[in-house]
Amino acid sequence: MSSIASITPSTLSLNDLPWQIEWNKDKCTLCGQCTAVCPVRAIEMQVYRKKTLNTSLLPGHEQGKQFSTYYGIGQKTNVANACIGCAMCNMVCPNNAITPQRNPGVSRLKFHMNQDGQPRRRGGRKNSTESVLDQIKFTRISMLTDPALDAGRHEFELRTLLGRILSPKENMKRLREKGWIPPVREIYPMVIGGMSFGALSPTMWEGLQMGVAYLNEELGMPVRMCSGEGGCPPRLLRSRFLKYVILQIASGYFGWDEIIHAIPHMKEDPCAIEIKYGQGAKPGDGGLLMWHKVNKLIAAIRGVPQGVSLPSPPTHQTQYSIEESVAKMIISMSMAWGFRVPVYPKISASSTSLAVLNNLTRNDYASGLAIDGEDGGTGAAYSVSMDHMGHPIASCVRDNYLNLIKIGKQNEIPIFAGGGIGKNGNIAANAAALIMLGASGVQVGKFVMQAAAGCIGTEHDRCNVCNIGICPKGITSQDPRLYRRLDPEDVAQRIVDLYVSFDTELKKIVAPLGRSTSLPIGMSDALGINDKAAAERLSIKYVV
Amino acid sequence: MTDEKFVKISGLKDGVRVPSRVLEEIVQQQIEKGARYIEVDAYGQHGIGGRLWRAGDEKIQIRITGHSGQRTGSLGFTNTDIEIMGPASDDIGWLNAGANITIHGDASNGAMNGAAQGKVYIAGSIGSRGMTMTKHNPRFEPPELWVLGSCGDYFGEFMAGGIAVICGINPKNETNLLGHRPFVGMVGGKAFVRGRVVEYSQKDAKLVKMSQQDWEWLSHNLELFLKAINKPDLIGSLMDKTQWNIIQALTPQERGELRSRTPMSRFLEDVWERELGRGGLIGDLQEVERGPIPVITKAELRRFVPVWEQNMFNAPCQAACPIGIPIPERWRMVRAENVEEAVRIGLEHTPMPATVCGYLCPSPCMEACTRNMEHMVPIDIRPIGQVSEKALPPKPAKKSKKKIAVIGGGPGGISAAWHLTLAGHTVAIFDENKVIGGKISSVIPESRIPRQVLKTELDRIKKLIPDIRLDQAITKEEFLKIKYDFDFTIIAGGAKKPRTLLVPGMELAAVANEFLALAKTNKIKSKETVVIIGAGNVGCDVATEAHRLGAKDITMIDVQKPAAFGKEKEDALAIGAKFRWPCFTQKITKEGVLLSDGELLRADMVVLSIGDLPDLRYLDKDIVVENDFIRIDEHFRTSDPRVFAVGDAIRPGLITDAIGAGKRAALNIDRIIQGKPPKTDNARPAIDKSRVSLEYFDPHGQCETLEVCAQDCSSCGKCRDCGICVATCPEQAIYRTESKGIVGYQSDPEKCIGCGFCRSACPCGIWNLVPNMV
Repeated sequence: MSSIASITPSTLSLNDLPWQIEWNKDKCTLCGQCTAVCPVRAIEMQVYRKKTLNTSLLPGHEQGKQFSTYYGIGQKTNVANACIGCAMCNMVCPNNAITPQRNPGVSRLKFHMNQDGQPRRRGGRKNSTESVLDQIKFTRISMLTDPALDAGRHEFELRTLLGRILSPKENMKRLREKGWIPPVREIYPMVIGGMSFGALSPTMWEGLQMGVAYLNEELGMPVRMCSGEGGCPPRLLRSRFLKYVILQIASGYFGWDEIIHAIPHMKEDPCAIEIKYGQGAKPGDGGLLMWHKVNKLIAAIRGVPQGVSLPSPPTHQTQYSIEESVAKMIISMSMAWGFRVPVYPKISASSTSLAVLNNLTRNDYASGLAIDGEDGGTGAAYSVSMDHMGHPIASCVRDNYLNLIKIGKQNEIPIFAGGGIGKNGNIAANAAALIMLGASGVQVGKFVMQAAAGCIGTEHDRCNVCNIGICPKGITSQDPRLYRRLDPEDVAQRIVDLYVSFDTELKKIVAPLGRSTSLPIGMSDALGINDKAAAERLSIKYVV
Repeated sequence: MTDEKFVKISGLKDGVRVPSRVLEEIVQQQIEKGARYIEVDAYGQHGIGGRLWRAGDEKIQIRITGHSGQRTGSLGFTNTDIEIMGPASDDIGWLNAGANITIHGDASNGAMNGAAQGKVYIAGSIGSRGMTMTKHNPRFEPPELWVLGSCGDYFGEFMAGGIAVICGINPKNETNLLGHRPFVGMVGGKAFVRGRVVEYSQKDAKLVKMSQQDWEWLSHNLELFLKAINKPDLIGSLMDKTQWNIIQALTPQERGELRSRTPMSRFLEDVWERELGRGGLIGDLQEVERGPIPVITKAELRRFVPVWEQNMFNAPCQAACPIGIPIPERWRMVRAENVEEAVRIGLEHTPMPATVCGYLCPSPCMEACTRNMEHMVPIDIRPIGQVSEKALPPKPAKKSKKKIAVIGGGPGGISAAWHLTLAGHTVAIFDENKVIGGKISSVIPESRIPRQVLKTELDRIKKLIPDIRLDQAITKEEFLKIKYDFDFTIIAGGAKKPRTLLVPGMELAAVANEFLALAKTNKIKSKETVVIIGAGNVGCDVATEAHRLGAKDITMIDVQKPAAFGKEKEDALAIGAKFRWPCFTQKITKEGVLLSDGELLRADMVVLSIGDLPDLRYLDKDIVVENDFIRIDEHFRTSDPRVFAVGDAIRPGLITDAIGAGKRAALNIDRIIQGKPPKTDNARPAIDKSRVSLEYFDPHGQCETLEVCAQDCSSCGKCRDCGICVATCPEQAIYRTESKGIVGYQSDPEKCIGCGFCRSACPCGIWNLVPNMV
């Protein structure tokens, strides 16, 4: 800063920033790659003045000083250009001369991310690495008691059911009477959760869809992906790949006219319809696509003007009660495909989730319930919602499942759990824990971005700029100069890698439990946790 | 071999079954005693015939009648031959390390499980998991399992070595000799199967063709097998080579290839785009080019691009100068050792560069200088002003026929007349005084402007503008006549009428301008104690002059914080003038100034210096006067479109303000004469000082001489042609151009990566980095 500049309350020093650029003068070649790539222009070349003294006490010596200049890479300290720790600078540096480091002290930036009265908005998920799911262990190992299974070499049946399963008595009755039997899909238990075309870049979205198609058609894994709320490219709607897609409808109804227009031309029914009422990352708040990302293509697919921010209302506007929501929305959506497609709501995990579930049990058309926990990710939300709102997924799923047991319907309405699965990289263990707590399957978004596209966001608040379209990996950007960094083919390949390895890991968990013929949904006697209170709350074993 | 050789051991003693442990002891004791032929009448005892190493290399023959138990021959040694006269139980030949075992019947599950050497001949079929986990140690021959009939499920699971032969004679299941899921996890060994292979684990094993060597081995050993199980006559039905298949483990290389799935690129082409169409998901919607790009991009794929913003911004000094003199350009000429041109540029903008820039102007340019940002001494403008003293006036343009009257020969009037004359028009200056120069000539102390400098510059003005009419007090009638006679009139009469205070005793006070005018001609002496009401710069001049003329005690009072600044204030403080505020005058008496709070400031002389107002009595009613000053529009035009007004007649200001106003009014009149609309002074915006890099300059530079000033000027917004950008650019994208003496720098988009180094390095702040709009 200039010598005569005055400080303002938001004038910060490097010590106040969460990420600090470490630059090595000796290694730097001044090639400019780091400053060219920095997504937030946190760094720039700077000219430095150096003073060299030539002093001596010897008689006759003329005390001398000399000024010279040198160049280096410096970090800006203003709020708007604060380093986000993405380390793209390090990635492109030929000499490893530059890298961001987490401030070992305490960052003050948070106190200033409210300029112009605008609270912080960001992408990512709750900035906390805590995970009850990670603490859960699988303690029931079949040694000499049940058939010992070899995860690598035995055959497993790991599919799950999405749809309303009638009681055997009712099912037989309807079969006899040629009555309506609710549609049920046999799918892979890990679903790619709703991430919209718009929140994600076109390359990312296409890569995910392509990977899913590959898994289905080349490897016979019935993986499904939810579209998120942002419509669907018309070509996909008219292709056979639509059967791998769960179409989402949310309170903004973006892109639904295109879907309606495509219905007469659909070769296949979609896998299911997800009615989004809530999202774990920002419970009680609607979707948000910020203007940075609403370019011509997104505007066309969503049917909105270009360059405007697109908040979805927190609720569906014409529905004023659970009963109405369930009845109206589910039947409307079921009707659209002649009651051939499962329709289920997705809600944020909440202490009120049971009320929704109880309502669904009384509605024949309800195909399941997706619950998204507080650790879910998002492309854009207020930081306060992300960090402080919501309910953990584990206890919410457990409560709902135990309630189903109480009313004897645990085999009739599947619960799908999402939010924070694999947040610390333990995707299969987290998924298996939720399944054994009672989920019929899981929905995963953030982990997919991290594994399949190299998303570098962390729960230490790294990167997290998905909302403003400058994703350095091109995952959540609508700028071709960024999203073309991502090759859909690579994403598809990584999706395949991820699912195939997940499959092996899941088998490594269920094989020792002696399960190979069905997913161990609700098999909570296999679970233990080294936390008495959590054990009690989840009704699983306390192990030390 | 006769029966007499055989030691007979019964598995039954006293009608009770001998435990496996006891039978084992009996057999081992017999071997110890030298028995080499043993017949066991078995009652299901475990592991008979194994572990018989005590005989060393000597051959041992074990014959088992009755019911052989589980794991017969387990951990068998190479010296042991076992013959089971009926069927065998589970795990026959388990962990076999060399025994040859012949079974004259079927065997149940687990035959040869874990075996590494030895042979097991089975005259019937076997149960599940036969030949599983078998090994081949290269020190020994591989283990062999011969089955005349068929196998149960999971045959050959995890097989790592050895040879299995399945002959398919009287199989248990005609349609599937090998059962369900055979060879899962097979990594070594091979199996000969006579008959159709319905299924096998294709990720572990493969079917191979029978080689000559294979066939020779098989046909030779088949004979031995059939002989051992006493069915040599079956050879005929087994010798059809075409009926045999061989299953072998995949090599690690083959496994690798198998794991490699359809390449995604092929899937993309053959499946994805075939279903969706070219371009995939949004091929029908997206016009922009597809395909991956590198992280560091060039040309249109850059996110940011450099722009050479030469002449887009004014330097802070130029922006601050009321005349708008292009100061960096003048320093550029000095650097180019063309001082003459630097001076000429000054005269293009002001008729009095030496007097004003060199001495009288408080130099807003220096106050604005970027160098102040780093507490560096600003570039001193005065030397370049002072060297302009002797310069000759520029040549006027071709004469026009237009005549313009300028009322008032002060700085504003002279400036207007100067620019109109240079534009080719005929100008007449009317001034009521005996000399031109206005307040500069009449009021400002000589301490601030050397008489000679002023005279030289006024002479130059008089030389350019011949028609200067002095002693011309303007009356209403004369004004109307001037307006009528001339095409345009500029009022630049200044403000000479002192503003007065409405307090008793006003008549006792002297008026600043009158005092200064008398002082300048040395016609008065000052009193000892002086109070000056009004502590602005004029008040300071009064104080300095009063001191020169003998005053000892000078107090300057003001109702608010004194507005004095710059050299005037410094000089007043230097002579010991006291500044007091806020002071409200109640009345002026012979004793001095009585303040509203009752305090009396004693004074022999009171000078009133609270500003001046223009004397506008001669104006006609077409010219609107507002709050004592002439109302003008943004072009310095009065309500009479042919009359303009500048200087203190429109608002009090600096000499430089008046010169700037004179210049702009003149330029607008010239535009109107040329038939163009007048132009507001929409000067370029001042450059953002943070774009300038002062690090290149000695922070202790003192700007002592013209040359040092020129060198130390960072030339904000105006390229110094230093070439640092060219040197800094990592991609060698920046190059210099020169055409007709005009230097330019450009960045080649095909090379540039948008790093912004040029922006950071540029000492003058010319390069900018802006988003690359797509």
